Amino acid sequence: MRNLSDQEIIDSVRKGNDSDYSIIVDRYKNKAFSMLKRMLKNEFDAEEVLQDCFLKAFKSLSSFKGESKFSTWFYRIVYNTALTKLSSKKRMTETQMSSVEDHFNLESEYGSDEIEKEDVNQLIHDTISKLPERYSAIITMFYLNEMTIEEISEAMQLSVSNVKVMLHRSRNSMRDLILKSKLVEELR
Amino acid sequence: MIQINDEILNKYLDGELSREEAEQVKSALRNSEELQRKFNALEFINDKLYDIKEEEVSPDFTNDLMKRILKNRFVVPKQQKYFIVSIASFITLLCLVIFGFSISAMISSSPSSIGESSSVVNSITYMSDGIVKLVEKVFSGQGLSIVGSIFSIIIIISGYFFFEMQKRAKANLGNGQQL
Repeated sequence: MRNLSDQEIIDSVRKGNDSDYSIIVDRYKNKAFSMLKRMLKNEFDAEEVLQDCFLKAFKSLSSFKGESKFSTWFYRIVYNTALTKLSSKKRMTETQMSSVEDHFNLESEYGSDEIEKEDVNQLIHDTISKLPERYSAIITMFYLNEMTIEEISEAMQLSVSNVKVMLHRSRNSMRDLILKSKLVEELR
Repeated sequence: MIQINDEILNKYLDGELSREEAEQVKSALRNSEELQRKFNALEFINDKLYDIKEEEVSPDFTNDLMKRILKNRFVVPKQQKYFIVSIASFITLLCLVIFGFSISAMISSSPSSIGESSSVVNSITYMSDGIVKLVEKVFSGQGLSIVGSIFSIIIIISGYFFFEMQKRAKANLGNGQQL
């Protein structure tokens, strides 16, 4: 049962085997949680929103036509629900108000001593969380969820070129942080 | 000759450049230590990002969620609940009005001496006869067509509201899909 494709599981759930939905939940919960935690910057909110996302997806399963992958459809729900949560908490700093041209500077988030002390994995982990919501969502979807740029653009309702620009910008800012730190010696 | 900037380095990393452009970048990287350093850092970040670990939800997450899903499955939606309650209340009210009207009609048409001269059994018999007569009157001829019309109107109105409710539920599902 665990090796079934998403579509096969969805068909089974549609036939009335509600408990099969737990396979889908187990398959996506940690990846979606990672994305939500980085977007909402709060573990409790992330888990609460994730429950809502799975409930929403379950209720809308009958209208899922299978034109895109289930994962793309589901991450679209996750992304939009996270934005709604952020909006309701009045923490929408850049998501709705600015375009892809918005500016952020990770270096200003760190003091030089701080960069030197941390190990690179921890630094990367922390910097993703410090990125604006949309950027951290893209990084998580691209690297952790292994989605293609096209799938991410569909999930986030952004153009492919905008997604690429945002991905590059996130990588560049992390690179600049690494270059500024003593961690750069690891590169040699 | 393309100008090597961050955008081009990112595209080179992702293998999005043409063969000719990629050759130009390769050559530029060989000739510039600074550019090489930048690219190495970018490549390093890229590799490290592939190693990021997923965060784990609490151990009871799936169980709690499935309980919530199964619970929601058997809950009558609020709107539907209001609809059922309002229709039931309307029918009950209608029955009460008919019943009240019947009683008052019987009392007004009964002889005033009923309490004085007859026994309790007689008065009950008299009342039940009255009810039967009234029911016969209501469900015969013109009375039957009036009752039929009232019930038809109730059914049509209920049907309309039910149809509207279903339409709204479908629209909500559609919104879920559009998410």
